[in-house]
This record gives sequence, structure tokens and C-alpha cells, in this order.
Amino acid sequence: MLQRMLFFNLLLLHGFGGFVALAQEATVRGTVYHRETREPLAGVSVKVVGKTQASKTDTNGTFMLQALPAEAQLSFSMVGFVTQQLPAKSNMEVFLVSEMQALAEVEIVSDGYRTSTRAANASAITSIGGEAFENKPFSTFMQSLQGQSAGVTAVQASGQPGSDVAIRIRGLGSLSLSSNPLIVVDGMIVNAGVLSSYANSSSALAGINQNDIARMDVLKDAAATALYGSRGSNGVILITTKRGNTGKTQVRLDAELGVSSPMDPPEAGKPLSATHYAELFRETLSNGGYAPEQIETLAESYGLNSGLSNHWYDLVTRTGRQQQYNVSLNGGSDKAKIFASAGYFDQEATTIGSDFKKISGLFNYDYRINDRLYLSTGINFSNVDQNTPNGTQYSDNPVWAARMLRPYQLAYNADGSLNTEVSGNTNFPGVYNPLWIAAHDKKHLSETRILGNTQLKWNIWDKLNYTSYFSIDYNTVEETIFLNGTMGLGASVGGYGRNYYRRYFNWLSRNQLDYRYDIPGFSDFYVTASVGYEAQRSKEYYLAALGYGFPSGHEDLTALSNAATPAAIVGQYSNYAFTSLYATGGINYQNKYALNLSWRRDGSSRFPTNNQQANFYSIGGTWNVETEDFFKRQNVFSSWKIRSSYGTTGNANLGNYDWLPQSSYSGNYGYAGYNGQQYNIIGSRNLRWETAKKFDVGADIGFAEDRFVLTVDYYYNNIDGLIQSVPTSLTTGFASASQNIGAMVNKGWEFTVKGDVLRVGNFKWFSNFNVSFNQNVMKRTANAAGPSGLYYLGEGYNFYTYYMKEFAGVDPANGDPLYYVDASHAETTNNYAEAQFSILDKQSNPKSTGGFNNVFTYKGFSLGLDFNYSFGNWIYGASDLYFTSGAIYTYNKYQFVYNRRWTTPGQVTDVPRFSTTTDYSTSTFRLYSGDYIRLRNVSLGYDFKKLAMFNKLGVSKLHVYARATNLWTILFDDRLPFDPEVSYAGNEYQNMLKYKTFTFGVNIGL
Amino acid sequence: MNGKHLIGYLLLCTLTLASCSKSFLQEDPSTSVAVESAISSETDMLESVAGLYRSLDNYFIFGRNYPLFGDLLADNVYLSSTNSSRLLMQNNYTWTIANTEPRTFWSNTYYSILQANRIIGSNLDITENVAQLKGEAYALRALCYLYLINWFAKPYTVDPNAAGVPLVTVSTSITGPLVKPERNTVAEVYDKMISDLDSAFLLMPETTPAIHIASSNFIAKYAAKALQSRVFLYKADYENARDAALSVVQNGGYSLTDSPGDFAAYWASTASRTDKVETIFELNNSATANNGIEGLDFIYAAQGHGDMLVTDDTYAIYQETDSRRALIQDGTRNGMQAYFVNKYPNVTATDRDEVKMIRYAEVLLTLSEAYGRLGDEANARLYLNMVAQNRDHSIAPYTYSGNELLDAIVLERRKELAFEGLRFFDLTRLNLDFTRQNMGTKAYSYYTDVLRTDFRRIQPIPQEEINANPNMTQNAGY
Repeated sequence: MLQRMLFFNLLLLHGFGGFVALAQEATVRGTVYHRETREPLAGVSVKVVGKTQASKTDTNGTFMLQALPAEAQLSFSMVGFVTQQLPAKSNMEVFLVSEMQALAEVEIVSDGYRTSTRAANASAITSIGGEAFENKPFSTFMQSLQGQSAGVTAVQASGQPGSDVAIRIRGLGSLSLSSNPLIVVDGMIVNAGVLSSYANSSSALAGINQNDIARMDVLKDAAATALYGSRGSNGVILITTKRGNTGKTQVRLDAELGVSSPMDPPEAGKPLSATHYAELFRETLSNGGYAPEQIETLAESYGLNSGLSNHWYDLVTRTGRQQQYNVSLNGGSDKAKIFASAGYFDQEATTIGSDFKKISGLFNYDYRINDRLYLSTGINFSNVDQNTPNGTQYSDNPVWAARMLRPYQLAYNADGSLNTEVSGNTNFPGVYNPLWIAAHDKKHLSETRILGNTQLKWNIWDKLNYTSYFSIDYNTVEETIFLNGTMGLGASVGGYGRNYYRRYFNWLSRNQLDYRYDIPGFSDFYVTASVGYEAQRSKEYYLAALGYGFPSGHEDLTALSNAATPAAIVGQYSNYAFTSLYATGGINYQNKYALNLSWRRDGSSRFPTNNQQANFYSIGGTWNVETEDFFKRQNVFSSWKIRSSYGTTGNANLGNYDWLPQSSYSGNYGYAGYNGQQYNIIGSRNLRWETAKKFDVGADIGFAEDRFVLTVDYYYNNIDGLIQSVPTSLTTGFASASQNIGAMVNKGWEFTVKGDVLRVGNFKWFSNFNVSFNQNVMKRTANAAGPSGLYYLGEGYNFYTYYMKEFAGVDPANGDPLYYVDASHAETTNNYAEAQFSILDKQSNPKSTGGFNNVFTYKGFSLGLDFNYSFGNWIYGASDLYFTSGAIYTYNKYQFVYNRRWTTPGQVTDVPRFSTTTDYSTSTFRLYSGDYIRLRNVSLGYDFKKLAMFNKLGVSKLHVYARATNLWTILFDDRLPFDPEVSYAGNEYQNMLKYKTFTFGVNIGL
Repeated sequence: MNGKHLIGYLLLCTLTLASCSKSFLQEDPSTSVAVESAISSETDMLESVAGLYRSLDNYFIFGRNYPLFGDLLADNVYLSSTNSSRLLMQNNYTWTIANTEPRTFWSNTYYSILQANRIIGSNLDITENVAQLKGEAYALRALCYLYLINWFAKPYTVDPNAAGVPLVTVSTSITGPLVKPERNTVAEVYDKMISDLDSAFLLMPETTPAIHIASSNFIAKYAAKALQSRVFLYKADYENARDAALSVVQNGGYSLTDSPGDFAAYWASTASRTDKVETIFELNNSATANNGIEGLDFIYAAQGHGDMLVTDDTYAIYQETDSRRALIQDGTRNGMQAYFVNKYPNVTATDRDEVKMIRYAEVLLTLSEAYGRLGDEANARLYLNMVAQNRDHSIAPYTYSGNELLDAIVLERRKELAFEGLRFFDLTRLNLDFTRQNMGTKAYSYYTDVLRTDFRRIQPIPQEEINANPNMTQNAGY
């Protein structure tokens, strides 16, 4: 069957050239090329089918045959290449495909439960090869995902290495539940997201070594995700780790060293220098009506005349060092194959007090027991070790400190020691010295994960297969927090310690039967069917303790047992379980038409007994237009495939016991020495799954012999039964209850063009350009339309539609801030109270996102250039009041405030007169455009081709590269004071600074 | 094994797994139980009752704000100009529907009512212990409604048919979360409180059974009766108030302290009482369970926030020889002379002050007032003097009659119950205009004349309730 398909494809390739079959006896000349390299092939045997007449190509790949009969068929064959048969014609150009390549081209598409050829696939699945992840200087593989696939965004809002990357597939999936896609690693549905208690910037998946990833499949539509039933509505990401190959055992060594430097805030957001700060300080007080002598008294007290200042941004940032080493072994025979690897990754962040280390190991083993039994097993071990600075919105957080501390607050005493004095305005009254905090507070996380799986495949008879799979995801998260007793949050209690221990034991078992029935009397017309059962249980154990009063003279004694006063203990568990019965069916007619069905019945412990079970289904179809005769009559397209699907999936990402009305025990409920319970959780006995009804229609269109392929998808996701917090009468004892009320639609278009844009001699340009347009519309909400925090929540609006008073600029006459009176913009006022709130045509989620990823190769050189971009989103500077307000003159300010403030009558500008009395209440003044284009990755590599010298050392491959990430960002709002890559809700709280990395690496193959 | 057998086997596996999936999918939380099965034994019920008491001790209600507002919004207490920024709007009489305090009065009190409702509604067999515990829940539910009705509705004495508060008597686990109750009338709420207190009194044994300690931290049989005398008094049903109070006096076994020394020691102590002296019921605040810097003691005591000071007028009502004057501490705040409340002085101790809810002296004064209003002046004077002479051993018995006698009784209530949150209710049930003394620069701000027509004598129904419940009506003025 595969050969036949290839044959079709090859026919198509030739369709492109257009040809006229020979009508009579003639002489035929032609050239045979290697299809991949485009180099002429010598020694290809060319035979006339059914005759003895034959020839061979010469060193130029050319051949000649004379006196051929009419409509002769020629056969081209050579060892290692797929034999081709073609009608003879004049000036033939023949492209032979190597057998290896042919195998590779019969691309297998998998949704985790079934596999099909690309031709029979009806689902919207993007596959990303392992090379997109390899050798990246990132602490988590998910950082490589940004810009790789249409419809997928991966935002790491924090610059903490190892911090969580929020992935969205086709937009916001839920209002109150998680919108994160389901993550499946080698068949195991893992506990992902953030599992830590306190170091909230840690990703549970940071332990996975990016060099161990063979491929990643992003499942987007119903046909692909409905088999994940109650957990598929946010999309699914399948991660497949590398497995052994037959053939020569390969050993690979990778080493990389590099540095990182902070991504400085845009010019607009740089903290002010001491001189500028002093100028602004005096100006704001003067405009605020302070007398000159008062101002000078204050200036003196704040050290403005002292001549002593420091630059906090420089003090809290540094050049980070990083390194990673990987070694892997890949080999095997027909009988047994292994892949084994070990990795080490170490990154020092560019913010003080922040670093990350990872040790990982992978061992995958495949064993053919006999012709019918096949065993696969794998174990993946990792440990992540991470230090994070305090994440408060205060000066113990170095990023905040760089923003808020005055240049005249001195980090060091005259003798060079750290300044911990709390009185005096040049010291730290009510605030903290971040350098002291970074040196003495501790926020450490150690996460150890073991992922193991075993799969047995039994080919019961020819067309019936049985697969049994079992997997374990064992994960421990240990956190130790220590706040020192000298300065900071721990000072009032003489040092404060907290320990958290969380252990997750998560197992999954899956049994599946697959059957294929070939319909008699037809070739390549068959039906497939499968049925399976899956059970999963995850058990979380959580232990925490807290104490204060630590030895003051022994800084290193931060272990919790040193605490004089034990303050709190917590010990509890939290579990969930899923059971699923599922079935799939498919029918395929000669790879021309294929129809796939799936059904899954899920049961979950997270729902009330009467709503525990739910059904999900999908139907998908595909038509490979290229296989039709009429298609062959045109020569614009080389392939054309149309696919569409519809189905339902669910979201069960809610708390494990949220539905249950509960009476809880706690130290807070006890009375007069008696244990106490309170009915404190309202629960909801009619809670159900959120259900997404997904429609997708797409096409894959090949051009120029499929040298590049355009993929277009339109989707319409109708998400219903969104769980919302519905306000209840307070007389029930509760303020709200969760109900399945909301409904919304995500719809959009996705375009990807992928392939070799250019091939000139040895020069090749491979490019992947993708763009997606997503629109979110609320269809039903629990409450009447109205404001919801910064947003306007109502039917017909984007969930993240901003709702605020509109800043209309500055009155040139007096520098007052102006606001539009109403949405008509007809009138402005300088009285904030007179302005009305407007529903803005601005939202926090982008209208379009995508990437432009390129690889240029010339001989041994390769140059990679990856861009990603985001347009149409707006960011609210949630912390910016502090850094833009003259009333809060004791905080440092953004540079743009200094540069653009109104100072002289008649001046037209957009920053009001700087004064302690100016009203800086929430308005679009602090709403910025988040549009950006980022050069995410630049890499230059060289493959040493002439390895004679190395061969003696046993080196078969040597590749060196240099890489820079986040080198360059284009912004479109010249007031934007921070990095535009922020959370989907569009709030910026001064997250940890991201960084650029510069690395140099080498890959050695033995 | 051939293929057919295998399929059969697998199907069997699948079916068995599917059939046992119900229990496989049963996951129970580790720190809570399903509310339906939360009370299935006497100990469960005791723990639920403990949870109910603890919910009352929340500082948004009985733990601080209820007892504090009864004096701050009345004429006993003002907010110092040197303060911790708490309750500024209450001092100034400027609160709105958006204010936290009325909202938390409402939401927290109904939360406590919910706790009581599920105890009352439990179907445990009535043993002596269950009867005691259910009786306590009935009494505490009445206590909750008494404060709700007096803060959120017109006084019964002004209009018994006015809109009261919704009477919720069934647990939310039974009604479901989407109920939208209407306001019952004031009279209906009073009827329910009285019947709840009857139930409490009938259920509870004379001697508190051994299920928990018999101390002032728990409602006992005659505590329910004492509370009922307050309900009748606020309803101006003086005959029933007299009977209830008399029942406590004759059968409750309570007494006042003997000497000024004992009286001072009584207020200085943080221990609960088992000797039935002075306290009938008070909320426990222990070393491990207290309101910290949000406690009633902390906002009054000079060593705490010391935000809430006694007006000069109030200080002046006490004779020098009155042992209750010693409960006001003459000190300085921000360089100015100030009177601090010293009824709850133990803010620096780990075991903190209890919050007094019902004291014997109140019952005696209720009895006195009931007699007085029914025309039995001899008995009125008897019980008035029982209190007055106990507190000031130097004075001669009062000999007032007529309105003078009634005024003296009300004044004695003010003296005795100051800083225990009951003053405001006396002023509203008697429908009196009153004056909050302007303390000048010592005070944060002032709002002096509170006329009986002032809409802020009634708290606003929280906006959240109005939004969530279309059957709810707002009080006039808000």
C-alpha cells in the first residue's frame, strides 16, 4: 500500500513538469537526479518494460534510448533507491527517491491512540521535530514552542529559569478552570503546570531534557482531541522521547557554554538616573504647592544633595553563566533497541538570587520478543534545583527594587558592607535592601520526577493487535523558604522558615484492541476499529510546616528545626481518578477518502456521582484531491488535501473535591479546646464538565513538487457549560457557587507555509512561516453584562475586553491630564470623576500571533533565524501607578515619564504635569500596545564534512554552533516600559526580567 | 489462548473494571467530610457546635464589631484622632452600601446561622447530649437573628410589620445554593427567635451533660432564658421579659460578685467561669484561638490599638465610688488626656479576653425595667438597687418612681453594660434621639446628633445581596 501511495506521489511530481507521451517510435534522452540532493545520479539502470532494451546513466546522469516503441514504459532502478516506472517521453527528467527518504516521507500521524498516514489523517495536528528543541539554551523545552506552530502560543511571563510556560492552543479555553493543554509524555497523561506551593514560578515539566525529545505533536481539533475526552478541550500536546534505531550504535556528545545578559527594559521603562530623579522629585513637589524651603528640607533628607547614589538596576542584575552537557547512546538490532541519555543543565539567571540546575536521564528500550510480541519500556528521571528571589511586589523582590528604590537609597555602607539601616531616607525605612535579602533569604525548590512506562504489543493474528500500557509519574516537590531575621519579611519574628513537601503518585493503565478488516474484492479499501479502556489515579500528599525565631548568630542554620516557635503544620492529601472506555472506527478508500470516528466515555472523581460519566465523540473526514484524475490535469498544485472534523471534548481541570458540599476541620474552627468543624464549602451537586464543540476545516496544499506546503485551517470552538462563580444570596452562608453557565466561542484562521523556499546549488533556504488569527466572543455569562475588574464581561464581547476611562492626552495650557467624557470622544475633561468608563475596542489577548522560522544552509554551514510575533493585544501596567505617579514621588519613575512630562505651557505631550496633586487614577494612560516582533533565536553552525582527521579518533560527526536568543525585539508603542511578553490576562506586575543568551556548543558523534 | 478467548477475557476485564469504576471514582477529601454525613454521632455534633461558636467569634461579628458598634454608633465611644485607620466611616456616620462592615455583619451572621441550621436539622436520636447541643444551636441561632434584626431593620417598638431579615432555618445543603429569600417582617423574626429560645430551653437539661465542660463559654439552659428576656425586652413585651428574667433569677443559680475587689478581679481574668458568677455566656478567646490584633480587646486596650476611647460624657456618668469607673483607664494618647476602655485588658497575654455576651446584671436590670414598665415599682427598685448597690457599696438605695425610675434603670444599664455592645439597642428600642459627644481634636471626626429619623440607625443591606437576590429590598436612605 505504501509503495502504491508513493507511486501516486511520484506521478504527481511528474505532473508538474507536464509531458506529452510519445506517439510513435522515437529516441528518448533524459537525466536522472537524486531527488533530495538534486545531484545527477550515475549508474542508474534504465530498462524498457517488457523488452530487453536497457541503458545506464553516465556520470552526468544522462541516458539515451533509441527506437522506442510507442507508449513505452521505462523502469529506472538503482540500489538504495525506489524503482520508478514512467512512460517514455522526450527530454525526461527523472527524480529518484532514496529508500530511506521514502520511508521517512510516509509520515505517520498519531493522536496517541491511533496512528495513520498523513494521507488518511483527518485531524489538525502539527508535528514539531526534535531539532526544534535540541541544543536550545532554555531551561524548559516549552520555551522553544513559541512561534513554532500556528494557533499555539507559549508565554513565559517570568525570567526565572524553570518557570512555567503558559501554553494556549487556539485561545482561551476556559474562564475559571485552567486553559492549559493536556500534556502527554510517551503515552502518560502527566501532572503538569505549576505544582509547587510558594515558588510559583516553577514548571512541573522543567525536568524534561529538551535533547531527549524526538517529536512533539500538537493536537488542535476535535478529531484529534476527542479521544482525550473530558480533558481534551484545551488541546493536547504529545511528547515522544527518542528511541533506539537499528544500525550502527551511535554515541553523541553535546556540550554548550554560554552567558546571559538581562533584557533591559525598553528605553521608555528604564529607571531614572540619580540626576533625573532629583530633578523630578523637586518638580513634583514644587508643582504640588510645596514651598521652596520645604522642598529643600525634603531633598536634603532624601539625600539628593549628598552626591551619593547608586544605580539599582545594575545592582540587582548580572551577567549569568550557563552550561549544558548531554550524552546519548542510540543503537540496536532487529531484536532489541536502546536509547540512553544523561543530561546536565545549569543556568544562572541575570537577576540576583535566581538560578536553575537540572540533571536528567532517559533510558528507552524496545525488545522484539517474537514475531508477535513487542515490548517497549522507558524510564525518565530528572531533578530540578531552583533558587528564586522573593516574588512580592515590594523591595525584597530585586526587580521591584530596581524600579521603586530611589537612586539615593544606598545599598552599601561607607565601609563596603551591606546597608541594613531602617531609619533615615537614604536608608530603608519600611522597605528592604534587596542585596541583603538576596544574600540572606532563601527560596529553594527541588523537584524530582520519575516517569516510567511499559508497553506490550501483541499481534494476536494478522489484523488484530492488542496493546497493554502502564505508566507511572512519580513527582516530589520540596521547597524550603527562609526569610532572615535582620531585614525583610522575617525581621519582625526573628527569622521565618517554611517547608513544603508535595508528592504526586500518578499511574495510568491502558488496554487497547485494534482490528483492521480489508473489504474483499477491493484493493486498499479497509475498515479499522479499536476499543480500549483506560484508568488513571493521581495521589497528592502534602506536608508543610512553618516556624519562626531562628538563631541570630548562625546564618547558615536555616533548617526549620532551628525555629524556636513552631507555628503551623499542614498534612493532607488530594486525589483524582479517571476511567475511560473508548472506541475508534475508520474507513479508508485507497487513501482517496478516509472517514474517522471516535467515542469516549469518561468517568471522573472530580464530579458529583450523578454527573461522573460523560460521552465525547468526533467525526472527521479527509479527501486527498490529488489522487483524483482531474487533479492531474492542472500543474499549479502538486498536492491538495481537504480535511474536516467535528466533535466534543471536555475540560475537567477543576479542583479535586470542588463539587462536594463539605464540612471541614481546621485549627481555625476549634473552640474552647474542642475540635471544630464548619460547613465551609458550598459545593455544587449539579456541576458538570465544560464541553467544547469543535469544528475544523483545513487544507494542505503542496506546490512545486511539494517543495513547500501551505496548510490552512479554519476553526470554530463553541465552548459551553463554562463553570462560573454565580453570586448567591449571602443568606445561604456563601457568596457564590460554581455553576455551568457561561458559553463562548473561539474562532479563527491558521496559515502555515513550510518548505524549501530557495534551492540554488548548495544553498538552501528552509522556512516555516505561520500566522493565526483568533477571536474570542462571549456567548453567555453568569452575570448581567458589566464590569469585571479591568474588563467588561458581556455577551458579544471578548472575555478580556478592557473597560476603563480613556486618557485623552494633556492639556497643553496647564499640563492637566484630560479624559474623554464618554466613548464618543466628543468632549474631554480634566476631572477624572466626570469621565465615564468606556468599553474599549482593545483586549489583552492578541488578534494574531505566529512565527517565521528559517534555516539557511550552504555546504556545511547552517544559519537559523527564528522570529515570533504577536499583534493586537494591549497590556495594562498593573504596577505602573507607582512608577508613573507624581503623588508617589518616593518611588523611582519610568524614563518616559521624565522625557515626556508636560513642563511648559503650549507643550503638546502625553504625560501630564508632574505633581503630587495630579490624579493618576486608572485609565488608558497605563494601557500599552503589546505588539512586537522578536528575533527569538539566531544560530550559526558548521558541520565538519571532511572528517578524515577525526575519523581516526572515531568521530563520525562534528558540528559546532553559536547561538543567541532574544537578541532583538521590535516594539510598536514607544511608551511601553517593559517586555511585551506578559500573561494572557494582559497584566504586568514587574515580572522577573527575561534575558538574552549567547551560547557556543559542539555536537560530536561517535 | 486463542484470539476469541482473549477477546472474551478482555471484554470481561473491561466490564469488571467498568462496573467497579463507581468505587474507583470515589475520592474523598482528607480534611473535610460531605456535609450530609458530617453530623452522624454526638462527637460530630459537638465539633459542629464548636465550629458554630468559633464562627461567632469572628471579629466581623461577635468577636469585635457587634459589641463595638453597639457603643461606637451610640454615645459611649469615639475614634481617636490617632488611630489605626479602622472603622473611620462608622465613627463619622458616613458608611455606604459598599462598606465592608455591614456586608460582613450580614454574610458572617448568616454563615453562623447556616452552621446552626445544620445542627438543628440533623436527625440524630435525641439523647441528653444531643438535646443539649441542639438546644445550644437554637439559642445561638436566636442570638444571630437578634443582632441581624436590630442592625438591619426598624425596631419592633417602632414598626413590627416593617421589613425584617430573611428567616433561613434550613441548611443550604438541603435548599440548594440558588434560593432567593424575601425579608420576613420584624414580628416574624421575633416570633422565630422566641420559639427558638423556647426550643433551646425545653431541650437543654437543667444540668449541662458531660459532652462538654459546663462553663460560661457555652450556652446553658438558663442562658437561653436570659437571652429570651432580652428578646422580650427589645420587643417591649414586658410581661414575658419579666417572666423570663425572673425564671433566670430564681432558677439559674447566677450571682454577682461580692466585693469591688472581686469585681475588679472578675474583669481582669481571661478564664471562663464555672461558678455562675456574673457571666452567663461569653465567647472564648484562648491562646490558640483568638482574633489577634483584630480582637475587641485589642481595639480598646491602651496597649493594643487603643483606637476607641470613652467620651467624657460617658466617663461622667460614674460616681467616684462606683467600681465600674475603674474599668475606664485615665491615660494619654498622642499627648492628650484620654479615657481607655479597660474591660478587656489582656492584650499582651497569650490567653486573651473573652467577649461577654450575656451577664447576670443585665438580666437583673431587664427584670427591673420589665417590672417598672408594668407598674410594679417596688420590684423594679429592688432589682435596680441589687445591681447599683453591688457596684457602688457607698450609695443608698434609689427611691425613684415614675419616669425617673425608668430613666434610672436605663442609665444603670448604660453604666453596667457599657462597652459590651448593648447601648445602641437600648437607644433604638426606646426610639430615642441621642447625642454623640464631639471630642474635638481628640477625635478623628464627629457626628453628634443622631435623630430617630436618621436612616443610618439601620445598616444597609449589602449590595452583593441586592445583586444576587432580586427578592431583596434595600433599607430606606441607602
